[in-house]
This record gives sequence, structure tokens and C-alpha cells, in this order.
Amino acid sequence: MGQPGIKISDLAVRFDTPAGDTVTAVEGINHEIEAHKFVSIVGPSGCGKSTLLNVVAGLQRPTSGSVEIEGAPVTGPNRRIGLVFQEDSTLPWKTVEENVAFGMHIQSVPKEQQRRRTREMIDLVGLNGFQKVHPPMLSGGMRQRVALARTLAQQPSVLLMDEPFAALDQQTRLLLGAELRRIWRQTKQTVLFVTHDLSEAILMSQQVWVMSYRPGRIIDVVDVDLPDERDTSVVSTHEFNELQNRIWASLQQEAMRGFVAEATAS
Amino acid sequence: MTKTTVQAAPGAQRPPNGGSRRIVTPRTRIGRRVPGTGLISTASTLGLLLLAGLVWQLGSIAQWWSVATLPPFTQVRSELLRLLGTGEFWDDTGRTGMEIVLSLVAGTLLGLLAGILFWKMPIVGRILEPYLVSFYAVPLVLFYPVMIVITGITPWSVIILATVMAAIPMALNTWVGLATLRPVYLKLARSLGCTRRQTMLQVALPGAAPYIVAGLRLAAGYALIGAIAMEFTTASAGLGFRIRYLYESFETPTMFAYVLAVLGLSFLLTLLLALAEKRMLKGRNER
Repeated sequence: MGQPGIKISDLAVRFDTPAGDTVTAVEGINHEIEAHKFVSIVGPSGCGKSTLLNVVAGLQRPTSGSVEIEGAPVTGPNRRIGLVFQEDSTLPWKTVEENVAFGMHIQSVPKEQQRRRTREMIDLVGLNGFQKVHPPMLSGGMRQRVALARTLAQQPSVLLMDEPFAALDQQTRLLLGAELRRIWRQTKQTVLFVTHDLSEAILMSQQVWVMSYRPGRIIDVVDVDLPDERDTSVVSTHEFNELQNRIWASLQQEAMRGFVAEATAS
Repeated sequence: MTKTTVQAAPGAQRPPNGGSRRIVTPRTRIGRRVPGTGLISTASTLGLLLLAGLVWQLGSIAQWWSVATLPPFTQVRSELLRLLGTGEFWDDTGRTGMEIVLSLVAGTLLGLLAGILFWKMPIVGRILEPYLVSFYAVPLVLFYPVMIVITGITPWSVIILATVMAAIPMALNTWVGLATLRPVYLKLARSLGCTRRQTMLQVALPGAAPYIVAGLRLAAGYALIGAIAMEFTTASAGLGFRIRYLYESFETPTMFAYVLAVLGLSFLLTLLLALAEKRMLKGRNER
């Protein structure tokens, strides 16, 4: 095993509901991601994927257990951790350029470096020519590129992505997914990518973690042995189908359990 | 030119305890402005003004109303031109202008701080909101006897009351703007490790800017109304005082010249605010 990227030990998150019950969002998570690896988490809705990601990001304290990033424990938000949200997080009052530089600006990166990295990142995500435009003029996909560029410009060693393409249409999703993979192969961050889309998970990652419905545990870890250089044509291969079937087999029951639980709760 | 919609905030953007109807929603512009719209609106404004002046002039000449009630436009205009050369006119205008500017600045700052406080401490907001909202409906000028007792017949009675009137819409709008901020902005601020100051100045307040600017517009209107109305009742100088004085001594043409001056002042104020608004919301309305 190579260098440690993200190490999650005995993690559990519980919270009290207003009704007085204790809900266990995630429990018994004991997993590791090697540095520079791309791992996806899939699971039914309400399984605590986002909670897990928030804890790894240092935005939420776990009830028990710990998270280490490159050997150092996470105690709060941290500049080694870059977060990409599902919702549009671009700031409409700033231009694309200012948005990309915003993280660096907050973290007081020297001005000269800010300019250089902003230029590079805008180039990397393919937003050249849109530097002076305000996000409301851009499409959802382009705004998500801005958010990605902002995160990458902070040069985090770990990239946490919470369903970053979920709000986009199918074609934009596929394109942006391919872009993200290309960028990742260049920058080699450790990536933890949350999605509910099985084929997206397989297409993007080297390993897929399958989470159960509440309490969220990781019930299956599937290595994706597809060539590193892959495009969307891989979905029609036998291997891809095998992987999809296996993940769906573990997920199906949980998805059903979640569905029933949510239906009876409401 | 452009209109501010005065209406209840849409369902998704209700204030925290759902009550107040006196909130101005930020401007939304559907579609991009067609080039030349500026020209059309300028031309139509001028046209309407011309029409109003014409009706005014003709009506007085044709005796649709008594000339003692509303003298012809030309008479009022020459009276205004005469006034522009007198020191008294500029003293009154200066005083009223000073009162409006002071109360607008103080009211805006006070309202902004109050709005931030209500957001940071929702309990305080919950307790005070009903009073603030009902304050809107109270003609605060009614408190002028109290003000005279406190400050005497000085500009301060005018400034204090106009400040309070300006602060209320500003506080409510700032509060609603902050409370309806998209949660992802605050999450972003946290994940980037923003300090509280950075979160407030670089994320929260700019995010609430459309509401705050709408609040500023209301505040300007209320400061103007407050100042003039207070001058009517308590002051010994100022445009409002002068108008009442001239009314009581039957100097109608001069009185209307002063009324025109007040209209001019409010037009100037609106223009300045529109410029400020354009600057503050730069890039936002390009949607």
C-alpha cells in the first residue's frame, strides 16, 4: 500500500431528533484511501453519504472515531481539503476570475501566485474567455466548472465531491465527468466522490464503496479494474456490466429498505 | 426608469417568522434589456412631465380651478427662479438636505447593524419583529411633542425621527436578506476557513445585497418623508417649515415653488440611489 490519503477509523455519527430519538447516520466506518486514488461512494438516498463527507471535510464532528488526512487528524476545515458542492456555489457578485481566486484570497495566498493559479485553473477547466463574466450569465455546467477551478486553485491534496454533477443534465454530466477524470489524471489528488449514479461511479473511479441505508455502513468495496484511460464507450463492455451488476446486487436491497423506511416515515 | 416591486416576498423567501408584508423583494429582471430602452424611458419621462406641465398651465388659465389654489405653472416657475437667487431658499434647502443626509446615513447604519443582530441572534429578532413591522404603520411624526420636550425645536428632533423611520425598513430588509441567504454560501465560507469577519463582509452581506439595496431605497423615501413632515410640525427652518409658513400666509405661488424644490430634491435622491444601486449590484442583473 502507498502513502495514506484519507484514513477513516471507527467512525460513527449520531444525532438527536426533535422527537427525542437518536438517529445513527453513519456507523462502523473503518476504511482507507491511498493517496492519489479516486474512490466513489454510492448508496441509497438518506444513507449518510453527505454526512460522511462533511465529517471528512471537518465541517461536522463525528460522535466517535476519527479521520486522518495524510496522517494528520482532521479537527476542522482545512486547506488541504477541497470541497465541491452539489448546489451552485459560485458567488454571483464576483466575476469568474474573482470566484476562482476566492479560496486563495481567503487563505491569503500571495497576489502574484493567485493570478498565476487563477489563469492556470481557468485554462484547465476550459473557461478561457469567460474571466470577466459573472456566473449568472453562465450555464449550470459552466458554473460547476468555476466551482471546481476555485477548489483546485487552493491546491488541496484531497478533493471531496458531494454529488457535484447531480443538478446537471445528462449530457453535461457525462462531459464534465470525463473532464474531471482528465483533470484528476493530471493533478492526482486523492478524491472521494459521492454519487447515487452507479455508472458514473464506475466510470470515474478506481474503487467504489457501497453504503447501506441508515445506519450507513460500507457494505461492499468494489475495485474497478477498467483501463486507466477510459471513455464513455467503456459502458458497453462486459466488465462494466459485471461491475454494475455486482454493485447493484449489494445496493438493491438497501435501496428498497430506504424506500420503504422513508415511505412509512412520511 | 426601472421599477422596484413592492409586494410580499415569494413563499420561498419569507422572513423567518413569516409575518411581515412590508418587505421589498429584490429586483428581478426577466430577459435582457433591449438596447434603446434607456432612450425610450428618458423620452417618455420628459413627455409625461411636459404633459403634466401643460395640463397645469392650461387648467389654471382656463380656470378649471381657482388661481388662488394653484397658480399657473409659469408663475410658479418664475417664482422658483427668483428664489434660486435668495439666501433664504438655499439656507432652507441646505438644512433639509443636511437633515435628510444625516438621517439616511445614521438610519442606514443603524438598520444594517440591527438587521445583522437579528440574524445573529434570532431570539432578539423574533421578539422585536412584530413591533418593527407595526412601526411601519404608525405615523411616527405623532411623537413630535415628545421630541420637542427632549430636544427642543432644533434640527435634532427632525433628524432623530427621520433616522428611526429610515432604520426600520433597512433593518427588516437586511434581516430578510441574511436569513434567506443560500445555505451553500455559508457552507462554502466554513469550508474555506473564513473568519467571522470574512464570512460577514465577503459572503453574507454581498449575498444579501439585493435586499439591502431595496432597503436602502425604502430608507431614503422614509427619511425624506420623515424630515419634511417633521419640519411641517416642529421646525423653525427648512423646506417643510417654509411650505407651511407660506401656506398660512397665503403666498401660494412661492409655496408651490418650494413644493417643486422638494420634488427636485427627491428626484435627485432617487437618481443618486439608482447610481449607487447599479454599482452595488454590478453583474447581478445580467441574468
